[in-house]
Amino acid sequence: MFSRLSTQVAVFAAPLFLLLSGCSRDDLTVRQSTLDPKGPVAQMQYDVFMDTVWLVLVLFALVGGMLVYAVIRFRARSTDSDQPIVEEGHGNPLIEIGLITASIGSLVFIAIPTLSAIWYTDDVPEESVPTSKLAAWYPRVGADGKENYPKVVEEQVLQIDVIGKQWWFRFEYPQLGLTSDAKHTVPNELVIPKGKAVRINLRSEDVIHSFWLPKVAGKVDLMPGRKNHMWIQANETGHYYGQCAEFCGDSHAYMLFRCEVLEPEAFAAWVKAQKAPAVEPTAGSKAAKGKEIFAAKTCAMCHNVGGQFGAGVFGPDLTHVASRKSLAGAWLDNRNSQAQLALEKQTKNTESSVAVDPVKLKANLIKWIGSSGTSHGQDGKASKDVKPGNRMHYYAMFGVAGLNVTKQQFTAEELDCLAEYLLTLK
Amino acid sequence: MSHDSHHAPVADKLDLPPERSDLGLIRPDRTRGFFDWLTTVDHKKIGIMYGGFAMLFFLIGGVEALAIRTQLARPENDFVTARMYNQLFTMHGTTMIFLGVMPLSAAFFNFLVPLQIGARDVAFPRLNAFSLWTFVAGAFVLNGSWLFEFAHLAGWFDNFAWHQALVYTDFAPANGWFSYAPLSGTFGQANAALQAPRFTGVGTDFWIIGIQILGIASLAASFNFICTIINMRAKGMTMMRLPVFTWMALITSILIILAFPAITVALIELMFDRQFGANFFNPSAGGQPVLWQHLFWIFGHPEVYILVLPAMGIVSEVLPTFSGKSLFGYPIIVFSGAVIGFLGFAVWSHHMFTTGLGPVPTAAFALLTMAIAVPTGVKIFNWLGTIWGGRVRFTPPMVLALGFIWMFMCGGFSGVMHSAAPADSQQQDSYFVIAHFHYVLLGGVLLGLMAGLYFWFPKIFGRMPHAGLAYLATGMVILGFNLAFGPMHYLGLVGQPRRTHTYHAGNGWETWNFVATIGAFILGFGVLLAFANLVYTAFKGKKCESDPWDGRTLEWSLPSPVPEYNFARSPIVATRDVFFEEKYGVHKISYEADGGDAGVHMPSQSWFPLLAGFGFLIIGFGMPLMSMGMPGAGWVVISGLGVMFLGIWLWALEGPGGYMLKTPTGAPNAAVAATRSAY
Repeated sequence: MFSRLSTQVAVFAAPLFLLLSGCSRDDLTVRQSTLDPKGPVAQMQYDVFMDTVWLVLVLFALVGGMLVYAVIRFRARSTDSDQPIVEEGHGNPLIEIGLITASIGSLVFIAIPTLSAIWYTDDVPEESVPTSKLAAWYPRVGADGKENYPKVVEEQVLQIDVIGKQWWFRFEYPQLGLTSDAKHTVPNELVIPKGKAVRINLRSEDVIHSFWLPKVAGKVDLMPGRKNHMWIQANETGHYYGQCAEFCGDSHAYMLFRCEVLEPEAFAAWVKAQKAPAVEPTAGSKAAKGKEIFAAKTCAMCHNVGGQFGAGVFGPDLTHVASRKSLAGAWLDNRNSQAQLALEKQTKNTESSVAVDPVKLKANLIKWIGSSGTSHGQDGKASKDVKPGNRMHYYAMFGVAGLNVTKQQFTAEELDCLAEYLLTLK
Repeated sequence: MSHDSHHAPVADKLDLPPERSDLGLIRPDRTRGFFDWLTTVDHKKIGIMYGGFAMLFFLIGGVEALAIRTQLARPENDFVTARMYNQLFTMHGTTMIFLGVMPLSAAFFNFLVPLQIGARDVAFPRLNAFSLWTFVAGAFVLNGSWLFEFAHLAGWFDNFAWHQALVYTDFAPANGWFSYAPLSGTFGQANAALQAPRFTGVGTDFWIIGIQILGIASLAASFNFICTIINMRAKGMTMMRLPVFTWMALITSILIILAFPAITVALIELMFDRQFGANFFNPSAGGQPVLWQHLFWIFGHPEVYILVLPAMGIVSEVLPTFSGKSLFGYPIIVFSGAVIGFLGFAVWSHHMFTTGLGPVPTAAFALLTMAIAVPTGVKIFNWLGTIWGGRVRFTPPMVLALGFIWMFMCGGFSGVMHSAAPADSQQQDSYFVIAHFHYVLLGGVLLGLMAGLYFWFPKIFGRMPHAGLAYLATGMVILGFNLAFGPMHYLGLVGQPRRTHTYHAGNGWETWNFVATIGAFILGFGVLLAFANLVYTAFKGKKCESDPWDGRTLEWSLPSPVPEYNFARSPIVATRDVFFEEKYGVHKISYEADGGDAGVHMPSQSWFPLLAGFGFLIIGFGMPLMSMGMPGAGWVVISGLGVMFLGIWLWALEGPGGYMLKTPTGAPNAAVAATRSAY
């Protein structure tokens, strides 16, 4: 619609952004920038936005200019006559009608792209299906002769269920067998194939949340009791940043998620890895002791660990927790922050990412497990919870009769063993 | 039966003999000082009290805003806890909208509407007092939640069984001013005691009952103003001769009457969900959370125009006065105000573009939202036309009014950007939206209301605010405001979501959040200075003449401060801009042959509106106490209901009363020299 250069010039020129006149391209491409679209949906939304920017700039220059001119030109002067201004008429119908007509006309300028974009962004467009359907890029039967997905879905594009909870996201891939029922779910880190349209089904299990991945698509809400959908497509690989955008309670600010965009082949490999069970810790190690604590302290009641503990569905699936770059609803970053920022600067790309730092990951695990629920004792005192209000260790909030109104306590040693155990879950 | 004819006209109400009402109780007509203010039915005193309370709550809301900005100044800050932050932004929004802007608008309605239409009071003076005290009760209930929150944080409740049984311990509301269900409601199945599990604590109950009480106050006031404006106009004051401010008061009142029932219904449903296990919004029992959003926004969007139309009315009075020229396109300004009010009911779902409405409703609401820009634009064009060819005097109210136009225009432009639904899906619930509506509500409405305060203050108190301080405060407000909210456009576009108490370092939001915080403090001190200037003026300011601005409408023909009977003799109006014509034109004001020694009829004062309002205060605290499980709290609610009904019952039975007050004879405007001010 407009070239990138001219749109950036427009953003710089907009009086609304006068304060930003000193800012560089880097300021417009930060992690969650909507001004740096990386897929067709975000691009379409950006184009409509820029249409409104152009319209507003013209109107601002005209009306604002007239206002400034009028105020300066018609300021009271000492040379004014003492006679008051008495007008017979109260306005000019021709001017009024002209201005109203011009206003309506200028709105048509944004109304047309708005309407076409509303339908375009609603669901996967027909023209994307031939290249994005599973059969076109994801072999139905793998080299090992195993089925990757049932035949009935081969004409469909990849579908992902996004389930919101206070305060994390669960991602399920029903066509590929990564679901709650199959004991394989993906918490907080969405993975999608590059260049393929993906349909997102949005669900919530408690309050309203909103799925917002700014560089890929604008937000759509997760409404409990309602089935919402959207579609996304990312045309560049990388590590993207998203966030819940609907206020959802105490720790709303801590409800973030990440999105890893992989080449289609890498995506298929990732799906396989997700289905693999967890590795058994070495007998007698700290990790083995941690596994016992995991069971004894009832962690397994809520958390699924593939091949080891299968009862839990309430909390995030921990089968591959140590492979993920973030923890606790993506609030705790498992990467080395300095290295990450340096890499972003070096590559001039916020989607580039360093690997997980096991030391940071362990520290995060201890911090997260050790602090949770401390704010919810009988004292009700404010606490330094990583995520205030979260339900780990605090059963009263489940609203389920029969669950103890107690919270778990851990010694430092227990935490250390637990973290060692979780570190084995790669 | 008591009638005003019982007593001879008196020159001062203190000369009245003690008068008994139909109930046999002494009427408080002869009270002075504090008790006079508590029992008054004088629209001017009620207006001043509305204004005083509104300014107090503006400052409270401002302190909350500064706490929010302090928390956000740095990434991963822990100035306040997550929950406290959520409570702060909830109470900030609720306070500014319901306890700041609406009552300040009501203050202007009260003080000005009777004066502008040539009436001696509103249609129902005691109902007016009832509106005020009900508003005060609702405001105390909402802010009373803070007292419970602080007592809870201090540990005062720790030893009580009811407190130990609470699952959620938020005592101040933490749902946002929109209180979306089901976060504000229930989930799962209700138990045998009809209690379903909830996501939030009693803070939400404070919010529900507080807003409900405020709604009653707003509705009562609106009926009163509609009756006043339709029925109490002076002879010759036809509808198309009404000052534009009065027109906007009328349209605003109609909007309140049409919009508040929706929120009333929604609040009752939510209250039933929480208190009695109803399932209106409980998805696990088949309820519809999205229903809350429809009900809330079909109130909530007209509410935006309820906030902004009075300010537009003020600006439409200030601009002609200081341009020395009549308002350009009066009929079109009035008509566009009505069209804005009408279309305001047809755009509510643009707050819900991301809820999955589907393409057709999204398209319809996008187009309607664009359409509402037209009458709004028309107003701006006409204000421009008013300045055009005039002689603009840069008095403090005029500077504020010009600031209003500029900031409101900016806010309107970002509003047009939101109407493009696909672009809005990126902007919704981001700081871009915060920037947008603060440009409309703060840059727009607050500057407009401040223009009104500085414009009419000399009329209200007969004293002139210090001009130098006024300019300084205005400069600080405009500078601080743009520094605080300008960068938020950028922050929203680069992905910072609103209602988040903190954010990661490394997201690129650090610098401009810090700048916004500096701007917020400059703005805060500017508002404080502006208000301090006014409060000082009210008591100690320099006395000024009755028409310091070369005013155009009827109120400027009266002495300052305005005597309790307003018009010694009722005016007869022959034109628009009637006082301007009186001074410079051919259509002079004539007067009816009333007043003088025969006296004018004054309404009796009464304790009962205050009593009824006090009943709401008891109900307002009783309901959340009941929700906390405090023993015996149900009886508090019932006794509150009793007090409220007792107040209304006694008020109904005491009889209207009234007395005759002598007014000065001779030319009503003898004291008024039509001279230009020193500005």
